[in-house]
Amino acid sequence: MLRQPFLLYNTYVENTSSEEGAVKKLYNKILPYMLLLPMLILMIALVYYPIAVTFSYSLKKMKLTRPNDVEFIGLKNYIEILKSEDFLYSLQNTLFLLIFVVILTTVFGFALALILNREHKLSGLFLAIAILPWAMPPIVNGIIWKFIFFPGYGFINKLFIALGLTEKPIDWLSDRSLLLMVVSVVTAWRSAPFCGIVCLAGLKTIPKELYEAAAIDGSGTFSSFRHITLPLSLPFIGIGMTSASVTAVNIFDEIVSLSGFSDTGKNLLIQNYLTTFSFLDFGRGSALTYIIMILTSGIGVLYLRSLNKEVSYQ
Amino acid sequence: MKKRSLIMALGLAASMALTACGSGESTEESTAAETEAAEVEDSEEEKEAESKEAEEASEEGTADLTGVELSMMVPDWGNPGEELLKRFEEETGCKVNVTEVSWDDIRDKVSIAAVGGQAAADVFEVDWSWVGEMNSAGWLEPIEMTAEDIADEPTIETFTIDGKILALPYANDYRIAYYNTEHFEKAGITEAPETWEDVEAAMKAIKDAGICEYPFSMPMGAEEAGTTSLTWLAWAKNGVVFNDDGTLNKDSVLDALTFENNMVTSGYVDPAMRTATGMDCYNKICSGETSFMVGPTKFVNFISDPEKTAEDVLGKIEPILLPGTEGVSDRTMPLPEAYGVSAYSENKEAAVTFVKWLNSAEIEKELYLANGSIPNRNSVIADMIADGTIKTPGAMLEQAELIKSPFPNGVPDFYAEMSNTMYNNVNSMVLGDKTPEEAFEAMDSKVKELLAQ
Repeated sequence: MLRQPFLLYNTYVENTSSEEGAVKKLYNKILPYMLLLPMLILMIALVYYPIAVTFSYSLKKMKLTRPNDVEFIGLKNYIEILKSEDFLYSLQNTLFLLIFVVILTTVFGFALALILNREHKLSGLFLAIAILPWAMPPIVNGIIWKFIFFPGYGFINKLFIALGLTEKPIDWLSDRSLLLMVVSVVTAWRSAPFCGIVCLAGLKTIPKELYEAAAIDGSGTFSSFRHITLPLSLPFIGIGMTSASVTAVNIFDEIVSLSGFSDTGKNLLIQNYLTTFSFLDFGRGSALTYIIMILTSGIGVLYLRSLNKEVSYQ
Repeated sequence: MKKRSLIMALGLAASMALTACGSGESTEESTAAETEAAEVEDSEEEKEAESKEAEEASEEGTADLTGVELSMMVPDWGNPGEELLKRFEEETGCKVNVTEVSWDDIRDKVSIAAVGGQAAADVFEVDWSWVGEMNSAGWLEPIEMTAEDIADEPTIETFTIDGKILALPYANDYRIAYYNTEHFEKAGITEAPETWEDVEAAMKAIKDAGICEYPFSMPMGAEEAGTTSLTWLAWAKNGVVFNDDGTLNKDSVLDALTFENNMVTSGYVDPAMRTATGMDCYNKICSGETSFMVGPTKFVNFISDPEKTAEDVLGKIEPILLPGTEGVSDRTMPLPEAYGVSAYSENKEAAVTFVKWLNSAEIEKELYLANGSIPNRNSVIADMIADGTIKTPGAMLEQAELIKSPFPNGVPDFYAEMSNTMYNNVNSMVLGDKTPEEAFEAMDSKVKELLAQ
């Protein structure tokens, strides 16, 4: 539909005289660039300029509380960050979250997709319910889960005590490993629905004939799942995993609502926020932003590659 | 790939070039800059003269700001309310547009706008903990006040650095102690605790008698309240927190850390408080789950409010003076919030007039009725206690007269970074990961590092 006006226009250009044709050809050449110009201006103003300015800040000693002490220091901010214990600690936490969030999101997301793929009367309702956590703002998500995991009167502790699993309430949010596990669960709960929907879309594209043929050949449910469903869903699982990876690297609200800005649970994003906006060190904060950007770019490349994968039914 | 690398390299080079351009200065540029600076100085002198005129006019109550519009950015509890804003407009002709922004976001918005040399708002919230950095960054316009006003408002000291008043407090908050008289009486204690030894003995008696499982409540989580709790404890207990050179006073701070740690290891503090927020800790006095706490001044109102306090606790909580070492402490720490005027505001004189108007004795009382902000003027507190507006004041006024800032050189501009280290180490200590000595060493070395910068 969108191509129609251009086809008509080209036909019109071909039917005009040669002089007019030359002008129109020139116009035709310029037109795409003119159409791109507004977006280009927006991109330069809102994306490329800030990226360049942030990079220039990252090469400076620039603390807002010392406006007269701004100087070019090259890569010193980057070197100091990479050498600092705070960065290594935050990186460890980020990697822990990355691994656990991706595993939990993928497993629960794919399981959700398999459940939703079974068609019955309530499929639509189940789908709507399943999407709800994804639609929830991360800060609200974090606050809800804080009540669930609250050391004193939290639901989980009450449940564990009622079931006799523990005598005293467990302090879920003060131990580093426990806290990161809780953050992973909370984040996976929010990101699994998206992964599930992507996988569900993938499952819907698998031709039923393949299952019928496999059944004729004597394949059971598990065998069909292993040899048909799983391999053909892999590109979609890949998309879900990369999306979960980006979510895991960008966790902020959940950590803040569960443990505030404590050292225990801080990841790279929290460290970046503290450096830039709490300590007002825009120089070092900008350098940290670039380091995070490079890390997430790697994940972005994986995401794009998994998008381009072709599905083979052979 | 080659093309991509080339583009990236070009981008990098362009950014480097931009940076280099930014830092380089030619002679021509310097001359132009000097001329510009001279012009700016002239215009600043004119503005200062205008500002003084307006201030003089406002003091006389004759300020005419017709047609001026001010923007104000405050958290919901700092909003003066429509009635007061309308009254200011009627008196001066100046309209004030209020934007309610969450407390944390205000600081972010002010700093981001300041990077671009802009005012996020003409008047904005200034917390006591932000004043040092905002002063160093040059974001606040100094405000002149009379000696009489300053004497009536001890909290102004917190917003004063190098003799300059940088913001005017609107919500008074200082630490005051609260205790549950019923719990103490059941444990056989008839007198209010006067020293921290009394407090410790009372906590033991109450816990041993099974009256209250966790009789002592104090914020110890990894958040700002963890830092302020350690600060007021050292301040009230030993009368000093920072040495004159800005470093931490080892004897005092280590003593406070040891006290805090003992309260946790003795089982007087609910373990959940190690990860709870400050408000969770304070609310325990209203629910009857704790017997003693030192907390915000606004709880003076809460303890007589049936909506905030459990029915069986109403009338049983008494606000008292902070305990000290030999007897009651002769000081308390202020934690007020203020309205500041942006140094980048185009309507500084109107903004100063507005902030001073809000700070006047008459309006402070109105503000209390409008949004519950505790007045900063001791004369207003005294009036409100006398006329029964504040119902259960206890030692509220007496304590207000003992307000002193624990920062000998004003709040430092690295407060946020220092506080982050302090509360994380307090939290590590109460979680059992560090001894009080280790926690102190970590804080001390960070403060020294920040001072060296």
